[in-house]
Amino acid sequence: MPAKSLFDPSGIAVVGASKTPGKIGYEAMQNAIRFDGPVYPVNPSAEGTVMDREFVSSVTEIDGPVDLALCCVPAPIVPDVIDECAEAGIGGAVIFAGGFAEAGPEGQQLQDRIVETALEGDVSVLGPNTSGFLVPGSDLHATFATDVEHVPAGNVAIVAQSGGLAYALAFRSENEDRGVSAMVGLGNRATVGFEEAIEYFDGDEATDAIVLHVEGSDDARSLLETCEAVDTPIVAYNVGEHDVGEFAESHTGALTGSYELYEAGFAQYGVPTVGSSQELLDAGNALADCPEPDGPNVGVVTAQAGPGIAIADRLQALGATLPDLTPETQEVVEEILPGITFSDNPVDTGRPMPEFGDVVTAVAEDENVDVVLVYELYEAALGYPTDAVETVVEDLEVPIVFGTAGPNEVLEEEVAELEALGVPTFRTPERAADAVGGLVQYARRNRKPRTAAEETEVSR
Amino acid sequence: MSGDPIEAAREAGRGALTEADAKALLAEHGLASPENELVDSAEAAVEAAESIGSPVVVKVASPAVQHKSEWGDGAGVAVGLTDADAVRDAAETILETAADQNIETSVLVEAGVDIDAGLEVIVGGTRDPSFGPTVLVGLGGVAVEVLQDTSHRLAPISTAEALAMIDDLESSPLFDGYRGSPAVDREAVAEAIVTVGDLLAERDEIAELEVNPLLAQSDGAVALDALVTLESADE
Repeated sequence: MPAKSLFDPSGIAVVGASKTPGKIGYEAMQNAIRFDGPVYPVNPSAEGTVMDREFVSSVTEIDGPVDLALCCVPAPIVPDVIDECAEAGIGGAVIFAGGFAEAGPEGQQLQDRIVETALEGDVSVLGPNTSGFLVPGSDLHATFATDVEHVPAGNVAIVAQSGGLAYALAFRSENEDRGVSAMVGLGNRATVGFEEAIEYFDGDEATDAIVLHVEGSDDARSLLETCEAVDTPIVAYNVGEHDVGEFAESHTGALTGSYELYEAGFAQYGVPTVGSSQELLDAGNALADCPEPDGPNVGVVTAQAGPGIAIADRLQALGATLPDLTPETQEVVEEILPGITFSDNPVDTGRPMPEFGDVVTAVAEDENVDVVLVYELYEAALGYPTDAVETVVEDLEVPIVFGTAGPNEVLEEEVAELEALGVPTFRTPERAADAVGGLVQYARRNRKPRTAAEETEVSR
Repeated sequence: MSGDPIEAAREAGRGALTEADAKALLAEHGLASPENELVDSAEAAVEAAESIGSPVVVKVASPAVQHKSEWGDGAGVAVGLTDADAVRDAAETILETAADQNIETSVLVEAGVDIDAGLEVIVGGTRDPSFGPTVLVGLGGVAVEVLQDTSHRLAPISTAEALAMIDDLESSPLFDGYRGSPAVDREAVAEAIVTVGDLLAERDEIAELEVNPLLAQSDGAVALDALVTLESADE
């Protein structure tokens, strides 16, 4: 596993560790020492200790297990540090410094030297020009960013081209009482790019889905092939729809922007795509938490017509199918709720009621339905149909996504119960629909991605 | 003499195929063009026009000219020519304009096609540095310039995928006929997309290929113009 030293190290060296708060070498050290393993401050010009650990002059002088180096040194020194890492048998390094490929030809040369050294010395290099990565489950905070310890462990791995966006997603995930199995900012992708990160997290037991933020890659086809080859569900947020160049003389070249190619490529290779970081998280959480959907057919059960209509509308725009329920299901629903508002799909019960959970179960049991979306405003007297939802998830193995609204204070506990059952819960009808959109895209595109277009997109 | 137009262009140090060669390359792969003949004098153009049959299109055919309709204040392309005098005039104008500009040219005489009896489509492909061979389809003419209504795929692709590309277009309903115009042959357009994708996938030398317009008709599709740009030889 090429990136194992990075994401699952035995010990950490902080190269350029510093005693001065605010410096990258200090912040990285402070983050690193939370790790349950040896952490060595490395700095040839420092003496004594930092955070109770004695300075070492070079990674080659470390006496103990270490296979991850956090390089908190300026760009010109980095090649020597990587060289020393190779000599010391350190298999993973994170380079925080900028001033490489992103900074022009000289920086590119410097980066080329790093890549050469890294490949020769078998060092997996994350960055340069990255803010690092987090693996909250093992208290591994390989970054100089602060307050990252608040990001809890979860089951979605964030792999972002931009470190900034990686953190935006990770903190958003914390804000919503979820978490991440890992968060990686790729930066300039010296030797660890999308492919290496995806392959690693595909083999990571804590990761149930991988979300990608993509701005552009030197080898997009290889990224797509990797996405297709792995088992873990992936969803991608491809940025840059509107920076396509001006019309050139030749149409074909001018019309073929990388945004279009990424969208086309992800579709061809079976990867759902979304249009915002929020949708990325929502779809990622749905893919991580839900059982794999068998198809794109969504049964909607709503306790209020308005949100149900908004959901049905949005789902169809996202490419979902809202199938007719079988006559048997309709009969069951009408028996439960005589004189019901609307007993086809969506099923609208008009308001929450004690039998709401039975309706949800009936729809989930319908052979025409692959995914269930439930929307219900919270009513304290009735609570949520948690038992029915649990049955749907566990016994029927049908993906279920829940949309709701109510005062935060009242909802928090109830929503946590649903989430604990593996039911992603969203506070707006549209977000619930978007999350289901991710499941629908996944179901449509996977299994036989190369022929998916044939089956589904021809009749529009 | 190399029989391969791509190698021939390379040997001659040209970065693009002539239109006639581009069309010949496409024809080899099953994508038809109107009957055409390449000539070097006005008299030969008249003879070619007689053998092809009226009407004809007369075009400048020079490696130095890629945007024929904009060349020489409109001298580069003359359409709908039905008699010998018109063909002679058009050919002479091309040859004289080229002489004034000091470039070498031939004249392409091509069977005229009724554009109103079909739908103008752009089918193209590029070799992207990051994605490799890719293809696109879009409605031709104003639609592609203003609306950028295009669909893309990574090549090579199957006919089914190419059909799905056409279906992706906002203008897809136009392929089914509009105000009395007949439905066009979606399969034939799809085959054209497949052909372009296959060519890019098979021939590393091609940087970009554009068939614009491809005239989609009720029973087939023909390449009315084609441009094949090559990767620079030292790459």
